[in-house]
Amino acid sequence: MLGITLITFALTKALPGDPVYSMVGERSDPETIKRIRTALGADKGIVDQYRGYLLLLLRGELGRSYYTNRKVLDDIRVKVPMTFMLAAGAMLIAVPAGILMGLAAALSSRVRTDRIITGVSVIGLSLPVFWSGLMLMYLVSLKLKILPPSGTGGLRYLVLPALTLSLPAMATLTRITRTSVNEITTMMYVRTARAKGLSELRITVVHILRNALIPVATVIGLDFGSYLSGAVLTETIFGWDGIGRYAMEGIMKRDYPVIMGCVIVSTLSFVLINLLVDIVYHYLDPRLRLYGTDR
Amino acid sequence: MTSPWKLLAAALCLSLMSPACTSKNRLEGYLYQRLNADPTTLDPAFIVDVTGGSIAAKLFNGLVRLDPDLNIVPDIAGKWDIRDSGKVYTFYLNRGVRFFNGREVTAEDFRFSFRRILHPLTRSPNTWVFDSILGAEEFMKGQTADVRGIEVLDAYTLRITLRRSFAPFMNLLTMTAAYVVPGEEIERKGPEFSFRPVGTGPFILKSWEHNTELALKANEGYFAGPPKIRGIIYRVIPEDLTAVTEFELGNLDVIAVPAYEFARYSRSQEWQGLISSGRGLNTYYLGFNCSRPPFDDAALRRAVAGAIDREKILATFYEKRGRIARGPVPDLLRQWDAPALHPYDPAKSMAVIDGSGIKSRVVTFYVNADQEVIDLAEIIQSYLKTAGITVAIKQLEWSAFKSAINKGEADMFWLSWWADYPDPENFLFPLFHSSNHGPSGNRARYTNREVDRLIEAGQRTPDRSLRNQYYMKAERIIAEESPWVFFWHKTDFIVKQQQVKDHRIYPIYTIDKGTGVSF
Repeated sequence: MLGITLITFALTKALPGDPVYSMVGERSDPETIKRIRTALGADKGIVDQYRGYLLLLLRGELGRSYYTNRKVLDDIRVKVPMTFMLAAGAMLIAVPAGILMGLAAALSSRVRTDRIITGVSVIGLSLPVFWSGLMLMYLVSLKLKILPPSGTGGLRYLVLPALTLSLPAMATLTRITRTSVNEITTMMYVRTARAKGLSELRITVVHILRNALIPVATVIGLDFGSYLSGAVLTETIFGWDGIGRYAMEGIMKRDYPVIMGCVIVSTLSFVLINLLVDIVYHYLDPRLRLYGTDR
Repeated sequence: MTSPWKLLAAALCLSLMSPACTSKNRLEGYLYQRLNADPTTLDPAFIVDVTGGSIAAKLFNGLVRLDPDLNIVPDIAGKWDIRDSGKVYTFYLNRGVRFFNGREVTAEDFRFSFRRILHPLTRSPNTWVFDSILGAEEFMKGQTADVRGIEVLDAYTLRITLRRSFAPFMNLLTMTAAYVVPGEEIERKGPEFSFRPVGTGPFILKSWEHNTELALKANEGYFAGPPKIRGIIYRVIPEDLTAVTEFELGNLDVIAVPAYEFARYSRSQEWQGLISSGRGLNTYYLGFNCSRPPFDDAALRRAVAGAIDREKILATFYEKRGRIARGPVPDLLRQWDAPALHPYDPAKSMAVIDGSGIKSRVVTFYVNADQEVIDLAEIIQSYLKTAGITVAIKQLEWSAFKSAINKGEADMFWLSWWADYPDPENFLFPLFHSSNHGPSGNRARYTNREVDRLIEAGQRTPDRSLRNQYYMKAERIIAEESPWVFFWHKTDFIVKQQQVKDHRIYPIYTIDKGTGVSF
């Protein structure tokens, strides 16, 4: 974490642009600019600024936004649940749909079904989110009038952004599941299971799917982790008040405390998700267990 | 499909199809508007953006305000007199004007509010609004405990004395920075006052869900008569297309017509009658860095201006959403004739360019990363290529762009200037006076002693017609020397729902108090 704060701090300070020029508007005298720079501590050396930030972190604070003067931690507390809701919604759509489509493509006896599903997943991967989001909004909100185009509230507001965000993940999961299942279906232990006279359902679920899920879990973890760092385009299109939009606005305005806060929180959530994935591996693959065995 | 599945599907469909996407869940009597960004603050001392300013105009009042025809009219001050050749201003406040907390506004509140902006510890970016007041400079430097030029004569009389005559001063008092705030609330709330403001205006802040929605409710006790609507809901929608969808679903009552939707709306049978336009107090320009080669040469700047067919760009690319600029001062403020200088004449321009030596170098053209601006920059690049100038466009996001042009890194840049107050001086002094190079406004780094003298003379002259003479002469020299290529003054277009009555676009956002609109 210390490394992350150091790298982020150095990178943000190396960016071209000065937040003070945006804060003072279009017309300001050098004295005012100097006064604001002093107030922000921007006139100090970079090492002093970094030391000050670390001290702030040790006090459990993330500072205040240069522009709104609101506490970054308070803002993040509001935005993280929103981002989590969106990410979870997207994964709730992408995971079952992706796995089912991947399974169907791999296990279908018809080549056509496989080709259609694979084709759809390629399209899903290739469509940029801003395009699919706007198309979904046009069709579902404006033409069919089924769901609201933007805002926050109940489940209805979540469906469109979550669906938009889920499309690339769904496509990736479909492809990974298909490849993984195809590979496992040829394994000796599957043939053995069949020879033992086990039902096809049991073979599919216990012997094929469980083993195929290891790479799938990795992809789920990576996607979920990246969604928790914010989905800027989806959040912007649907007016979703998440951490991605917050971070992006911070970057655009050079609001250093906001950028640092978002990076720290995103790093934390990414680390936590990876830890969770490692724990899931433990259950999915007995070979990865470091101690004991339940078999 | 088995029956439990059918039931589940039906329940899901019903829950999703409930009327959240239509206008039925709106608050009755509220006007729904769009903001493309969350306001950074609603504290008048810190507002520098139009978004915050347009909302603050509905929450606060000043001594005076602007009417729709840009005249200065009473606000909290019922009357005033100006003496000593425009140096001494005495304001007589209306009685019975109350803050939302119930306390009556007095002259002391104005003294507090103006002094607060000038106080070094406030760190307000708006000190320039009051720095012409006697004793302001000393106070800002911490040399005096008070601002000599702001005096409370009695509870309802305020006297402001300026260092020297400054003709636009009354206009400055119409700005958001000059709104009155209650000291006790500032003290009690500290930085939170930015998000929980207390003013005197026609609307009261009801709720503010940052980045999502900001709600104002009507102040029934507003001293100038309550609004005709119950309130205003501002929805923060960053994406234009989303806002258009919300508008067409009836979830927004008024939107600014996005550039790429302009043609569709203006041709649409359904909407064309509901579009209204307003001439904005702004000037869009291509600025030259006049402080170094190659554009320290006025002849070359004129040649560049003559190499670009602005009329054609305005008519085609910009779809006539503006009026050609003949100088920096917008047509709405200019009370003198301005000749059309540097018309499109590629042959004449090329002759100058050929002899200038500019062909041997690449000219940098800085623009911010806005798609419309980038497209426009490419058009300009193409015209200049034809004329023999190689232009390298450098796109930067806003903060980096501003930093670069404030430091004078660009040879050319694209920018606009929007009026702070409706006086030609606002388009001359900050933008062309040699004391204002860089972040103070003169990003072209233009220096001309005669222009400086004329602008200063205009600032000191209370007589309007004489003042206009100075401004006219200054503008003529500027237009002739062409530190900018003057492009256009943008016209704003809005489209509203049928049921919205008396909604207007004003040249300056502070005019719109939200009291005229009704359903």
